[in-house]
Amino acid sequence: MGAAAPALSATVDTPQAAAQLAAAHGLKPMGVRPPLREYVRAMWQRRQFTQVLASSRAYAENQGTYLGQVWAILTPTMNALVYVIIFGLLLKASRGVDNVIGFIVVGVFVYRLFDDGVHSAAKSIPSNSGLIRALQFPRAVLPTSGIVSKFIGQLPSMIVMAVFVYVSRFLPNNAPVPITWHWLMLPVALVLLCGFTLGTGYVFARVCSGLPDLLNFFPFVFRLLMYASGVIFPINHYVHDATLGTILEYQPVALFLDLTRQSMLHEPAYPFTWSKWLIALAWSVGVLVIGFVFFWRAEARYGRE
Amino acid sequence: MSSREEVDFESDAEDLPARSVSPAVLGAPSLVAQDVHVTYRVVGARERRRSKGKQSLLRRAWNRGRQHTGGAIEVHAVRGVSFVAHHGESIAIIGTNGSGKSTLLRALAGLQPISGGSVYVSGTPSLLGVNAVLMKKLTGERNIIIGGLALGLTRAQIDAKFDEIVEFAGIGDQVYLPMNALSSGQAARLRFAISTALVPDVLMIDEALATGDAAFRQRSKERIEQIRDAAGTIFFVSHSLASVRAMCTRAIWLDKGVVRMDGPVDEVADAYREHVRADKREVRRARRAARRAKLGEEEWARRREARRARRLAQQAELEARQDAGVGR
Repeated sequence: MGAAAPALSATVDTPQAAAQLAAAHGLKPMGVRPPLREYVRAMWQRRQFTQVLASSRAYAENQGTYLGQVWAILTPTMNALVYVIIFGLLLKASRGVDNVIGFIVVGVFVYRLFDDGVHSAAKSIPSNSGLIRALQFPRAVLPTSGIVSKFIGQLPSMIVMAVFVYVSRFLPNNAPVPITWHWLMLPVALVLLCGFTLGTGYVFARVCSGLPDLLNFFPFVFRLLMYASGVIFPINHYVHDATLGTILEYQPVALFLDLTRQSMLHEPAYPFTWSKWLIALAWSVGVLVIGFVFFWRAEARYGRE
Repeated sequence: MSSREEVDFESDAEDLPARSVSPAVLGAPSLVAQDVHVTYRVVGARERRRSKGKQSLLRRAWNRGRQHTGGAIEVHAVRGVSFVAHHGESIAIIGTNGSGKSTLLRALAGLQPISGGSVYVSGTPSLLGVNAVLMKKLTGERNIIIGGLALGLTRAQIDAKFDEIVEFAGIGDQVYLPMNALSSGQAARLRFAISTALVPDVLMIDEALATGDAAFRQRSKERIEQIRDAAGTIFFVSHSLASVRAMCTRAIWLDKGVVRMDGPVDEVADAYREHVRADKREVRRARRAARRAKLGEEEWARRREARRARRLAQQAELEARQDAGVGR
């Protein structure tokens, strides 16, 4: 329209002309999904960003209270005390395990890692729309830092968990749990669980960014999964069908709970078996890779809402 | 310089930097936009439809219920924008509210997915916007680190620039307070300081300069000129035609998502101001017509009221006569 100075001399009437002009001056296309290899490299470059984002978030969770970071210990302690009161003092059902308190506390605490992690990943795209609209970075940073922040934030609760497992010997009907080298395997189990949670989180992050209604189904799906994974009672104590029992035992969530119980507890029902660790490794890596690729495929579309 | 109609956030003449001169020879292209379209989806909103004539009870109940279940609206905010920007150019994007300026800027910065066309940029553009929220619960210090890392700086580089950023933002020890304890002006300054810590090839400013006191405005304008002198490209969205004329060499006038005019800043700004004035005249005329229509309606209501009063009086008279008949 307006007779502009040399600014308009270069015309870009067709996509080809634009691409040619851009290529001639070394310009990069915007809003195009980068190749997977480049995307992984960009993620690696931003690892500090991911980590700082995660730890700041975990820290901010307990800010705004007078006790501040003390709550990181206090909340899980009170949580565990509730289980001690209900299952250790009021209901004295053994449920086919030697140490009910240890069984339940490990189950609930570790399951919460998974549940909270996936939930924060699912919300990560809509709840970070401010960051998305202000800065450019691989969007997979958001679900990753969400999950990592939950794992960091609940490290103190892992210590509380270990204390309760040890102290449970002073309660009636709870067999003492000896401290063995198996306890050293807990971090390994948590790393494997983190990989699996990340993979699952990536899938939910992409799906929920397009269909936020799914977030409302979350509590129910995860409660169902909780009962199907033997968080507060051993599945094999109630399920007697062989096929169903095997499926429920080797489904990933139950398997990861199994690993943490193998390392933390001394239950005859959960002997230390290396084969289960290998299967868990396969689940962890497989789901992580599939979830990441699934998330990357929609990279150019995040932030459209 | 500015007419009475314009609201100027930065009208102090001495604030404005010396008029930039269009470089005789333009640099190489730094941004190419070709037929850019942006559509975004608003989930949970539904357009309210007028009912057509009489409908069955069931139909009306269904429609009434449907209003409350989300649905989604597609908003076509930018409809086919093409232009080439060069190094050393500063380009204003002007237009009325809702004309798609901010959306276009976000799309050019790669922060809003485009639904059609293509954008090519040199380097990573940096966008300064009013709604570019940092993390409110965290301290300013944390936000500097997070923002710097997100821009691609390393921890060591951030530590080296930390004091400079705090000084530029001029917030002193308050940088150790959570962001929600800072005023919105202070937060905006910090944002500006972080975003320009790394001199970007393409800097986009979305009305960010309206905040801050005179001293800060002066500093930020110096920083912007620095970037322009480093042969970067600047995009500037503002409603203040005065600062647009002072800061930019070229202007793009966006109207309902379409480029209405693209050229030297004075030409475009003049045309735009003329258009806004014409629009205001139109609005005034429409308002007068509406007032007339309203007056007519009042008159009609008054007559209806009078008619009803007359009818009531007749009825009362009739009843009184009947009563008198019964009593007799």
